Amino acid sequence: MTPVYMAAGDIPTPHIEYGRLAPVLIVLGAACVGVLVEALAPRAQRYGLQVLVSVVGLVAAFAWTIALGIGDQPHHVAAMGAVGVDGPTLFIQGTILVLALMSMLLIAERRHEDSPFTAQASTVPGSPEERESLVAGLVQTEIYPLVLFAVGGMLIFPAANDLLTMFVALEVMSLPLYLLCGLARRRRLLSQEAAVKYFLLGAFSSAFFLYGTAMLYGFAGSVRLSEIAAAISKQGGDEPLLLAGVALLSVGLLFKMGAAPFQAWKPDVYQGAPTALTALMASCTLVAAVGGVLRVFYVGLETLRWDWRPMMWAVAILTMLVGAIVAITQTDVKRMLAYSSIAHGGFLLTGVIATNKAGLSSTLFYLAAYGFTTVGAFAVITMVRDAGGEAGHLSRWAGLGKRQPLVAGTFAFFLLAFAGIPLTSGFTGKFAVFQAAMAGGAMPLVIVGVVSSAIAAFFYVRVIVLMFFSEPLADGPTVSFSPATATAVAVGAFVTLVLGVIPAPALHLAQSAANQLFVR
Amino acid sequence: MTTMNAVLAAGGPELHPQAAEGVQSVAWLLIALPLAGAAILLLSGRRTNKWGHLLGTAMSLGAFVVGLLAFFQMLGQDAEGRSRLVHLFPFISAGSLKVDMNLLVDPLSISFVLLITGVGSLIHIYSIGYMSHDPDRRRFFAYLNLFVAAMLLLVLADNYVGLYIGWEGVGLASYLLIGFWQYKPSAATAAKKAFIVNRVGDFGLSVAIMVMFATFGSLSYQDVFGQASQASQGTITAIGLLLLLGACGKSAQLPLQSWLLDAMEGPTPVSALIHAATMVTAGVYLIVRSHAIFELSPDAQLLVTIVGVATLLAGAIIGCAKDDIKKALAGSTMSQIGYMVLAAGLGRPGYVFAIAHLIAHGFFKAGMFLGAGSVMHAMNDDVNMRKYGGLRKVMPITFATFGLGYLAIIGFPGLSGWWTKDGIIDAAFEKGGTSGQILGWLALIGAGITAYYMSRLMFMTFFGEPRWDEDVHPHESPKVMTVPLILLAIGSVAGGAFLILGDRFAKFLAPVVGEPEAAHKLVTPYTAIVFALMVVGVGLAYVQYLRRPVPRTAPAGNPAVTFARKDLYGDALNESLLMRPGQWLTRLTVYFDNRGVDGLVNGLAAFIGGTSGRVRRVQTGFVRSYALSMFVGAALVVGALFLVRI
Amino acid sequence: MTAADLVIVLLGVVAVGAGVLVVATRQLVHAALWLVVSFGALAGSYLVLTAEFVAWVQVLIYVGAVVVLLLFGIMLTRAPIGRSEDLDSGNRIVALVVAVATAGVLVTTLVRGFRSAYVPIKDRVGSGSSHTLGGSLFQTWVLPFEALSVLLLAALIGAIVLSRTDIGGAGPEPEEEEPEPRRRPAAPRGTVARRLGTARRRATPDDEDTIVLSRVDEEI
Repeated sequence: MTPVYMAAGDIPTPHIEYGRLAPVLIVLGAACVGVLVEALAPRAQRYGLQVLVSVVGLVAAFAWTIALGIGDQPHHVAAMGAVGVDGPTLFIQGTILVLALMSMLLIAERRHEDSPFTAQASTVPGSPEERESLVAGLVQTEIYPLVLFAVGGMLIFPAANDLLTMFVALEVMSLPLYLLCGLARRRRLLSQEAAVKYFLLGAFSSAFFLYGTAMLYGFAGSVRLSEIAAAISKQGGDEPLLLAGVALLSVGLLFKMGAAPFQAWKPDVYQGAPTALTALMASCTLVAAVGGVLRVFYVGLETLRWDWRPMMWAVAILTMLVGAIVAITQTDVKRMLAYSSIAHGGFLLTGVIATNKAGLSSTLFYLAAYGFTTVGAFAVITMVRDAGGEAGHLSRWAGLGKRQPLVAGTFAFFLLAFAGIPLTSGFTGKFAVFQAAMAGGAMPLVIVGVVSSAIAAFFYVRVIVLMFFSEPLADGPTVSFSPATATAVAVGAFVTLVLGVIPAPALHLAQSAANQLFVR
Repeated sequence: MTTMNAVLAAGGPELHPQAAEGVQSVAWLLIALPLAGAAILLLSGRRTNKWGHLLGTAMSLGAFVVGLLAFFQMLGQDAEGRSRLVHLFPFISAGSLKVDMNLLVDPLSISFVLLITGVGSLIHIYSIGYMSHDPDRRRFFAYLNLFVAAMLLLVLADNYVGLYIGWEGVGLASYLLIGFWQYKPSAATAAKKAFIVNRVGDFGLSVAIMVMFATFGSLSYQDVFGQASQASQGTITAIGLLLLLGACGKSAQLPLQSWLLDAMEGPTPVSALIHAATMVTAGVYLIVRSHAIFELSPDAQLLVTIVGVATLLAGAIIGCAKDDIKKALAGSTMSQIGYMVLAAGLGRPGYVFAIAHLIAHGFFKAGMFLGAGSVMHAMNDDVNMRKYGGLRKVMPITFATFGLGYLAIIGFPGLSGWWTKDGIIDAAFEKGGTSGQILGWLALIGAGITAYYMSRLMFMTFFGEPRWDEDVHPHESPKVMTVPLILLAIGSVAGGAFLILGDRFAKFLAPVVGEPEAAHKLVTPYTAIVFALMVVGVGLAYVQYLRRPVPRTAPAGNPAVTFARKDLYGDALNESLLMRPGQWLTRLTVYFDNRGVDGLVNGLAAFIGGTSGRVRRVQTGFVRSYALSMFVGAALVVGALFLVRI
Repeated sequence: MTAADLVIVLLGVVAVGAGVLVVATRQLVHAALWLVVSFGALAGSYLVLTAEFVAWVQVLIYVGAVVVLLLFGIMLTRAPIGRSEDLDSGNRIVALVVAVATAGVLVTTLVRGFRSAYVPIKDRVGSGSSHTLGGSLFQTWVLPFEALSVLLLAALIGAIVLSRTDIGGAGPEPEEEEPEPRRRPAAPRGTVARRLGTARRRATPDDEDTIVLSRVDEEI
């Protein structure tokens, strides 16, 4: 297959479309600049420089993505076929970049305390060294390049046109996240526990992904999605190698999405990680993971859809129900949102299962809508603070609506959007996804979806009730305002409202992105 | 007329609304005005405390004026020109999914518009007085305005998505208003109950919308009803049943009735506006609006009538046993909506009476609720009728207006309830067959019970000896409260005759729901029976509650009374059918989750210490058990894929 | 059966046998050393399959680096080196079932998948050479290769973040630096009680909160 080159030094230069890869390259470049800043700049200036580099990098990458979306047509694969830069990918990449920018506002927040991240990661929690580092006001500015590395991985992941690139991207996006999870400033033990769990289970799922890749290679003789698709249509789908490969690959992908029964890590990690990072994971990582799922199932395995559909049906149903039901009993607000995120993963899967254009465009729209709402909601969580950091326990939120009606009202609005109440983006998104699933003949799935969103509404409303219909605690949490976080909240709320009231333009964008489908 | 009949024979009038002109083209103002009011009042904060309630009332009145102008414009047009579309904007437009946000101004929606804005404005005015001492009056008016806007969107939308948005909106407003006095734990609980029970109904409606979209590819009334006859019988029946489920939730019909009685925890004007006059009738509106679907499915229609009859009896029985004046009225509301649902299920002869009874009921029930509010105001917010008595002398205006509403609801000849309720009973008998006879007789019995429990309420409150608490000094309410009462009383007296005499309303509604085959006969053999039963009911109540003294505490009563007092064990039923399994499920998840959470804490301890073997086993077992669950999941995924092959 | 077949079967037996011993031995260091044998046998198989580059990479990275890293880890964390009963888990049976089941599924799948895919080794000579791999790596797979370098850089930064103690400028007494990675369970004895205390302290208010919240639940 691969030509054998006998003479030394005659490897032809690979053809790389730098223009099409630019958003990824810019983000990764900014990360490298960040590393240099860390090495060369004086300590006092690092924070400012790092934030500047990160924001400029993300904005520039986003601008380039838009330029690609407008000008670069028709789309095709780039970098020797390793990535496909096409409508859906650009939409997903753009979404990731904007959401990352919003999360960056939270990550760089310094008003609440010196940083949402630990002062010095190497100190033992509770040790005198830790106290010293806190008093000295230290900040670990390395987190900015790490975040950018993760975002870079997220940008490659949904674009990857072969399973090998996808695997590498998966690791590039996961590894920094494993690390950052353990760097919370408060409740560090919880945070470190979360990091270990995320790392171990993530490694475990990577093994599944890799095994699946190997088996698919065994079946098709290639890891390129298009060639796998071609092999499936040529040989039929009877091979055990193919089916086992698809199954194991799905496990790896579904783990990243947090679909049941691979959801166990999500609540622990979302709860333990610094909230700013949880916002990044809940929005950008989910978008990237679903983007990868879309590409694998729409490009590589589309011809096999009659085989994987029943399995995905089961996973989607289980995911929606587990997310919605278990969330009811949660007492920690981040944990609750983690289960809610699991349930939303299930809703997204119903759009994936449709395997038609409507499914693709509605999933894209849902991703964007959900991402903005999520970042906004987590941003609100960072604002509601006790003496010991964020007020995570739900009982601390009792009566917040009476003391801080604006903040509580905004949070209630986000919750209503999660619940899919009309005039929020959640309603439009769910409506679009469900109708696509319906058109794809997945009526029972839609019914389960509607039932579980009805169940889910219960616990969202419970929080609203708690905030507005309970007496405020005497020593209740305070709300810490800051321009950056408030901007993130405002953008989240604004987009949630706009996508709920006049969703047509965004739906059009998603639709025109989906129109060209994925390139092969 | 012949062409009209041909159209009707083909399955109902086709909707081909023309674009609106004149006042109707600004029908969006109907929604925009109260919505703007709500927004201003909610966003402006305390600055508007002084005049906020006036602004809210003005917005509602403004909407009423727009509605009236649109109504008069409509009267000037012929039957075909009475349905008008107001194009707003394309709401969702993506691929095959196209939803345009348009308003449909037609006789059916304008009837509701007038009811909502008219009665709504009166209740706004009344609330100025009723809520004058409440520190949160501004917020109350904001919610009222929000409710009016959502309700108007519900009835004016030309498609099911718009209807659904309004549907959720009124639910939200109702939820906010029931829980308005949130410092009362019972109010907060009632608010939650209303919300959750309504979710069940909303679920039915949302699935119905999905099925309709999947079947017809569109959600506008025009497309759905136009293509309804092409869909399979099973699909149509399924849509009908799902719509009925939605209607049951919103209109407190069996088996989703339990929230309405608890909803009486809200301020009384709310009970009058939302839980008597408007929102709870949304289910009737939904059924009548979707008549093209129900007419194609006799099964669904039959179930609608059964639900209606069952609820009208259940509500009446509950009404007999309640000592809380508002809850007795709530039982009566359930019962009266049962009549409307019954009528809506009877097909073309029933629609007119369903809507006419709805409008008449809007007047007399709102009047009675506001009257009850006036009484409560006088009695220091006590709702127990056993502590009332003899109030007719101290509250003459309230007594007179309440009395007229009472006469209207029991169907005293000539008052509005008589015209509309008799029409429903006649229509039931006219249905023919055994089912028609059963429905008719049950509705008749219901009318008798209505006379009994309403008389009981009347006698216990206004007649007999005063049984007041010592510190209570009843007095008549201020003008701002009594004037709306008087206006509503006029409506309860004359509304029915105005609508039914000369088939005026039937002709007005004909472009939407079709014209009944036969003209309505004013006097039928059943008229006499209804009257006789009414007299028996009143007489029985007279013997029990006026001739004998009423004890201040409720007597123990026989099992039947207990049964009724406990809302026919509706809560117990709900509890055993819905809540218990739910709680078990919750406990189960708590158990598993506790293992998770505790495991986390324990795991943390072990993670740090690493000394205690037992705890360490928990810790290592913990991450490992996650991994094991993933492994089992992976095995299931592999298995599922291979199973498909077999 | 050719000589190559025979060799590969023998190497396979060695690899599997060593693998079993890795999990069966009661001594941590022995487990690591058996791993060396297993990896080595695997590298031998690669050689037989003419993938000489992969074989030497296997030796260099797995035998050379990974196992050495493991041994260093054992040494630095002062884990017990002799026979230790702790190495036996109570879940032996479950683990065995899972392992056998996995192996069964994989072997079945592979055998069924590749039964007919027979390629004589002679035709493939050179396809596993460093030259071929290099060509492929720097041509077709150049993007994932570069992405991998980014991954390594990120891992490097991460390691620095986790281990750097002189972040505040003047490093506080480097000799007191804790030798083990931060996330290892085995911590110095002195801090155990204190850390347990932290965990408990946090748990207490949560319990009270739970009571408040369960009241809310009952209302619903």
